Amino acid sequence: MRTRGFPPPDTDPAGAGALLSVDGLVKQFPGVRALDGVTLSVRPGEVHCLLGQNGAGKSTLIKVLSGAHTPDAGMIRWRGRPVAFPTPLAALRAGLATIYQELDLVDGLTVAENVFLGHERSRFGFSLRTKGNAEAAALLRRLGHPDIAPGRPLGTLPAAGRQIVSMARALSYDARLIVMDEPSAVLDAGEVDTLFRVVRQLTADGVAVVYISHRLDEIRQIGDRVTVLKDGRTVAAGLPARTTTTAELVRLMTGRTVEYAFGERAGPARRRELLRVNGLGRAGEFADVSFTVHSGEIVGLAGLVGSGRTEIVETVYGARRPTTGTVTVDGRRLRPGSVRAAVRAGLGLCPEERKSQGLFGEDPVYRNVSVASLARYATAGFVAPARELAAAARALTDLDVRPGDPRRPVRTLSGGNQQKVVLARWLVRGCRLLVLDEPTRGVDVGARTELYRLIRRLAADGVGVLLVSSEIPEVLGLADRVLVVADGRVVHEAPAADLTEADVLDLVLAERDTSGWQRANQGHSAVVPHDRSEEPT
Amino acid sequence: MSAPAVPDERVAAVSPVRRLLVRPELGALIGAVVVFVFFALLSSTFRSADGVANWLDPASTLGIMAVAVALLMIGGEFDLSAGVLTGTTGLAVTILATRFGLNVWLAVLLSLVLALAVGLANGYVVTRTKLPSFIVTLGMFLVLQGLNLGVTKLLTGNVLVGGLVGRSGFDSAHLVFASSVVLGGTYFKVSIVWWLVLTVLATLVLLRTRFGNWVFAVGGDANAARKVGVPATRTSMALFATTATAAWLVGTITALRNTSAQADAGVGDELTFIVAAVIGGCLLTGGFGSAVGASLGALIFGMTSVGIVYAGWDADWYKLFLGAMLLLAVFANQFVRRYAERRRRS
Ligand SMILES: Nc1ncnc2c1ncn2[C@@H]1O[C@H](COP(=O)(O)OP(=O)(O)OP(=O)(O)O)[C@@H](O)[C@H]1O
Ligand SMILES: [Mg+2]
Repeated sequence: MRTRGFPPPDTDPAGAGALLSVDGLVKQFPGVRALDGVTLSVRPGEVHCLLGQNGAGKSTLIKVLSGAHTPDAGMIRWRGRPVAFPTPLAALRAGLATIYQELDLVDGLTVAENVFLGHERSRFGFSLRTKGNAEAAALLRRLGHPDIAPGRPLGTLPAAGRQIVSMARALSYDARLIVMDEPSAVLDAGEVDTLFRVVRQLTADGVAVVYISHRLDEIRQIGDRVTVLKDGRTVAAGLPARTTTTAELVRLMTGRTVEYAFGERAGPARRRELLRVNGLGRAGEFADVSFTVHSGEIVGLAGLVGSGRTEIVETVYGARRPTTGTVTVDGRRLRPGSVRAAVRAGLGLCPEERKSQGLFGEDPVYRNVSVASLARYATAGFVAPARELAAAARALTDLDVRPGDPRRPVRTLSGGNQQKVVLARWLVRGCRLLVLDEPTRGVDVGARTELYRLIRRLAADGVGVLLVSSEIPEVLGLADRVLVVADGRVVHEAPAADLTEADVLDLVLAERDTSGWQRANQGHSAVVPHDRSEEPT
Repeated sequence: MSAPAVPDERVAAVSPVRRLLVRPELGALIGAVVVFVFFALLSSTFRSADGVANWLDPASTLGIMAVAVALLMIGGEFDLSAGVLTGTTGLAVTILATRFGLNVWLAVLLSLVLALAVGLANGYVVTRTKLPSFIVTLGMFLVLQGLNLGVTKLLTGNVLVGGLVGRSGFDSAHLVFASSVVLGGTYFKVSIVWWLVLTVLATLVLLRTRFGNWVFAVGGDANAARKVGVPATRTSMALFATTATAAWLVGTITALRNTSAQADAGVGDELTFIVAAVIGGCLLTGGFGSAVGASLGALIFGMTSVGIVYAGWDADWYKLFLGAMLLLAVFANQFVRRYAERRRRS
């Protein structure tokens, strides 16, 4: 096991030639030492990946680098000189741009206005719109995206397009280093490819990229070197991204060997039919969806982001009102468009947008877990705090939420740990049919395995599970039966054992010809047949 | 350059109809046309030149305020003290000129200083405390309402201050703020000119200047704007000062026209300004709206208030009519936003 006190063989000790070098960085939050001696060295033109479990300190590190937080100790050198950026803007002006997951873009402005917001192209206070548009177009072209019109309202761009705009903004400040915090979490497979193309374009120009992701396969594809953080410390710096084994990376991150596999599972002991969805459809979103879920069964919905899976499960759950079709639980028809009816019938939905859908930031973690099931800890209307706390604590341990103290305000948890808190809420709830929409998004490798085990255990206890995931191996490994969704339709249904990753990819990709945001560019919705003549070449 | 011709086609691919639909002022434009046709059919006076001059008058003073309030709302804030401030500034001009014997121009200037002080105080408290401007300016509203009454009664023992006529500087000030312009034999109030100039100016600022860009950005997402160096605080302050300045202009116009000022003037008008801005396409959430739209909203008000009288109806119907207009406008806005969101998804 490595300890502090670098340099590892391939970093040059003085940090000379490095674009950014960081040494002994410390950041203390009340009750948590988020960074406890971080070392990092980034060279011009490389893709440097940051790896670490949820709460390891990755986001904190980049916030300190970009001037959003002030470090308590340590040294940051930028292009050879010691610096302490007072604000993110100062860092940006010096050429260090950070792209957070919650992008700093304004929907009401156009693409070009967003790129130059705060440093508008203007003379005597008057906007030089033509100049701004032309320069924005040039930047977008440099990023390989002449298809994004500079005059288009930003609000009409989907996630991938917005990230491109953020990068164009970074380039407009002549960024030498672009830091990206989990950029791929909101993108589908095609969009990730687009992102990678852009990243390669940037690095070819000598721009360095710091890339954070929990998906090891991405790091292999795009990364040059890897730095691993654990509990706020650098445990390995500058490892080669392509040749370091997965087992080694996981061991460094978690400090143990994690079996990253799904394990065998006794065939689906089909018992009762729990849920029957018949001919369900919503105008403009999806059409003619029929399937069943039995108790103890895990049914997976595979497909791309934007293919209509979220819309389907939300309609089943009553959060959207179907235009056609029925949802039946235990042989009884649910009132369409009524969440209350669905909940009373035993359905639970862990939504995709976990951040926006219901974390109470200032409330303690345990209250955020138990809020959906308070009735269970109540006697005559009064909540018994000890029982509430105990049940929440158990779920938090199961999901390996860190720090484990359930009394902390949930706001102070890292992104991935907040996700786990919402998951825990639905797990303690005790549903008969649990709908999980992208449950592992933003969740680290170690916790993922725990989560898989937990889902399996629920199924073994007779809970029906409807699982939406963009990660095909996950669906294939976890589910008994898989429905492949593309463009708002179920295009294939088969037992998971009969499908391979390649099969599913083929099915999914066959249905699409342009990536999502290019489609939006043309003003088409996801289910409108595409006009191939508009396809970019 | 390697760029193919694709991007321009893409821009064009958004049909003109769609682009028109998401313009904020579309609803108000349709509304204004409908209202005009409606009253023009009912009454020939309404469509005569005199009639037009007549309904442009109330539209102009309201329009000056609605445009300023629209800018503020696009910037994400409200000003509930704007109505009563028109009363305060009018009273200031009248009292300073008649009780303190100042030249009318000097009184007008001091009144402007007072208005700016109020606007900047609003802005300062809102940006400093981060309290909702709704509450802060509601406080200012009550303070000013009390001051207007208290000070006026204290100094004059009355709620009406008169006697501007004949004071030094009155005639020239009257010419600038309260006279009429003859156009083809019809007298149009000069306030209409002020209104049109301000609408053009505001539109220019919003759409063609860096500051206008900041207004949209601050109203759309103040944090995002601040992070990239937009002076969000200064932008908000400037917007509050703008509303106050508009209130000063309207207060001055009214005082010089009537040659007197009333202690309760302007109370209740603040909501009318907001309604006009909302009919004109401003979202209550900020970041979206237009100055032309707000002017059209004011025009609808002006036409309705005068048209109802010409049509020979009881003026009591006025409010009902406006209420219906407001609801319609909000539904239309909601529809447009949904439409925009639907396009965003995929
Ligand atoms: N504002 C804050 N106040 C208190 N503690 C905080 C704050 N922000 C982060 N922390 C703590 O600092 C530690 C590191 O968090 P950080 O967000 O950097 O993790 P991360 O590596 O980005 O994790 P993830 O993969 O989940 O995004 C966590 O224990 C977190 O709870
Ligand atoms: Mg993070």
